[in-house]
Amino acid sequence: MLDIQDLHVKFHTRDHEAVGGINLRIDDGEILGLVGESGSGKSVTAMSIAGLLPRKQCALRGAILLDGQDLLLADRSILRRMQGSAIGVVFQEPMSSMNPLLRVGVQVGEALRIHRKDLSPEARRALVLQAMADVELPNPEECYRKYPHELSGGQQQRAMIAAAIVSRPSLLLLDEPTTALDVTIQAQILELLKKLNAETGISMLFISHNLNVVRKLCTRVAVMQKGLLVETGSTDAVFHHPQHPYTQRLIASIPTRHGREVR
Amino acid sequence: MNYVIRRILMLLLTMLIVSFLTFLAFELVSGDVAQTKLGTEGTPEQVAALRHELGLDQPFLLRYGQWLGGFFTGDLGVSYYNPQPMWELIGPKLGVTLILAAISFLLITLISIPLGLLSYRLAGSPLDGLRTAFNQLCMAVPPFFIGILFSWFFGITLKLFIPEGFPSSIRANPGEAMTQLFFAAVCLSIPRIAMTVRMMRSTVIGEMQKAYVRTAISRGNDRRGVLLRHVLKNSLTGTVTFLAQTLAELIGGSIVVEQVFGIPGLGRFLVAEIRALDYPVVQTIVVILAFWVVLAGTVADLINQRIDPRLRLGGAK
Ligand SMILES: Nc1ncnc2c1ncn2[C@@H]1O[C@H](COP(=O)(O)OP(=O)(O)OP(=O)(O)O)[C@@H](O)[C@H]1O
Ligand SMILES: [Mg+2]
Repeated sequence: MLDIQDLHVKFHTRDHEAVGGINLRIDDGEILGLVGESGSGKSVTAMSIAGLLPRKQCALRGAILLDGQDLLLADRSILRRMQGSAIGVVFQEPMSSMNPLLRVGVQVGEALRIHRKDLSPEARRALVLQAMADVELPNPEECYRKYPHELSGGQQQRAMIAAAIVSRPSLLLLDEPTTALDVTIQAQILELLKKLNAETGISMLFISHNLNVVRKLCTRVAVMQKGLLVETGSTDAVFHHPQHPYTQRLIASIPTRHGREVR
Repeated sequence: MNYVIRRILMLLLTMLIVSFLTFLAFELVSGDVAQTKLGTEGTPEQVAALRHELGLDQPFLLRYGQWLGGFFTGDLGVSYYNPQPMWELIGPKLGVTLILAAISFLLITLISIPLGLLSYRLAGSPLDGLRTAFNQLCMAVPPFFIGILFSWFFGITLKLFIPEGFPSSIRANPGEAMTQLFFAAVCLSIPRIAMTVRMMRSTVIGEMQKAYVRTAISRGNDRRGVLLRHVLKNSLTGTVTFLAQTLAELIGGSIVVEQVFGIPGLGRFLVAEIRALDYPVVQTIVVILAFWVVLAGTVADLINQRIDPRLRLGGAK
C-alpha cells in the first residue's frame, strides 16, 4: 500500500541529507517498525509521508506511492485531501500536539469535519464517540466535553489516536507515540495499537527508539542510521540474526532485565 | 463561575489598596492645606479653625474612611477653588474622555485583529519590507503631530470641523462634537493600531511554531483553517491582555490629543488642576484613572478565562 522509492530529503540549512535515499514498503495491514538512533532521519521520513515537511525549507526527491499515487508529485490540495482521511498521524508529545483551547471531542472529530462534509453534526458526533470508545477512553461522552489538560497523558495519547483513526485512514504514522508515557501506560497503548490493527487491518508505521517495544508490536523492522536504511527484515530475523554491525550493536544494547526500559 | 467571584473580590481589594495609597500620597504631598489656603497672613487661630472646618484635625484613618465612604455615595469632596459639587465638575469631562477612549478602542480592536492576521500572511513576501516600514512609521509618529496635521487638513482645509471650536457641551452640538472626537480618536489610535498589529503578528508567528499546528495540518486543515480555527484563538489571550493595557493607557494618552484639538476632556482638566495644585480634584481624578486601569485588567482576565480553560483553575496554569 505504501511504497517509498529512493527518497532523499535535504534541508536547505544543512549540508547533509537528512534522508539519503531509502526504499521502504509497508504492506496492507502490516505494522512496520522503524528504529534508529536520534537524528537518523526517522521523523523526517514519517513527516515526508504525511506531507508535513515545510516545502520551502527542504528539497524532496524520489517517490512516495500511496496506493499507487505519488505523494511527492501531488499538489497541495490533493495532499490535503489525503491528510487526515487516508493518512493519520500520532506524535510523541500528546499534550503539546493538542490544541489547548479546543474540547477533546472537537479535536477528535476534526478530520471528519474537514473530510466528511456530508455528515450531520449528530452523525459526526456518533462517529467521534465510536472512535473514542475504540481507543478505550473511559467515558467517551465525558471526555468529549473535556479540555486536553483535563486528561492524563495516557488518555491524551488515546484521544490523539482516536483523532487519527476517526475517518478510518488506511495508514497510521506513529512517531514515538509512547516515548513520553510511563511504562505501564506504554504497554497499554501498544496493546491498543495491536488490537486496532487486528480489528481494522489498518497499516502502521511505528517509530521508536525502543527495540523491545518494536519487538512486541511489529511484524517487520527497518533500521535507520544517518539517513540510510541499513537493514530491513521480519522482526524475528532482524532480532535473531542481525546482519549489519549497527543493528548488532543496537540489539546488544537492549537492557535484558525487566523494569524501566531505557529510551 | 467561582473564578469570576474570586476575580471580582480581588478587584475590590486592589481598588481599596489603590485608594488608600492615593489618599496617603496626597496626605504627604499636600502638606498643611489650611495653612496653604490662608497664606502667611493667617493667624494660628484662623488656621486651626479652618483645619477644623475641613476636618483635618481628625485622625488620618477616620478621614480616609470618610473620604472612601463619600466616594461611593457620590460625595467626592470639594475643590479648593470651585464650590460646585466635584461630580458636576468632573463628570462632563470624564464623559468626553470616555467617548474619545471608546471610539479609539473600537477603531483599534476592529482594525488591528484582521490587519494582524493579514500582516502575518505577508511574512516572507516582497511586500513585507514595505509593511515593516509603514508599521514603524505609524508607531513613530506621535499622536499630537498627527493631530496637528489632521486639524490643518480636515479642519482648516476641508472644513469638516472647527479646530479649537469644540462646543460647550456635547449636547449643544453633537455633530460637531462627535466629528472632533472621531478625528482625535483616529490620531490616538494610529500608533496603537500599529503596535497591536505588530504584537499580533509576532504572537501568530510564535503560535505557528507550536506542535498543535502540525497536528492541525496533519488532519487536512488548509492555511485558513489552521489560522482561523486554531491559531487565532490561541493568539487571542495575549491580544486581549494587550488591548486592555491599551484601553487603560488611552485615558492618560488622550491628554495630548485633547490639547491639540481643544477638547475639554479629563486629561486637559487634570493638567490644569495639577498646575493649580487643586489637590482634592487631582486626587479624585487619580483614583478614577487608577480604578480604570485595574478594571480594564480585570475585564481582560475574565475574558481570557472564557477563552482559555486552563486559566479557570485559578492561579498559574
Ligand atoms: N526543520 C528542520 N530543519 C533542518 N534540519 C532538520 C529539520 N528537521 C530535522 N532536521 C535534521 O534532520 C535529521 C534527521 O532528524 P529526525 O528528526 O528525522 O531524526 P529522528 O531519527 O527522528 O531522531 P529522534 O529519534 O531524535 O526523533 C537531523 O539531523 C535533524 O537535525
Ligand atoms: Mg524523531
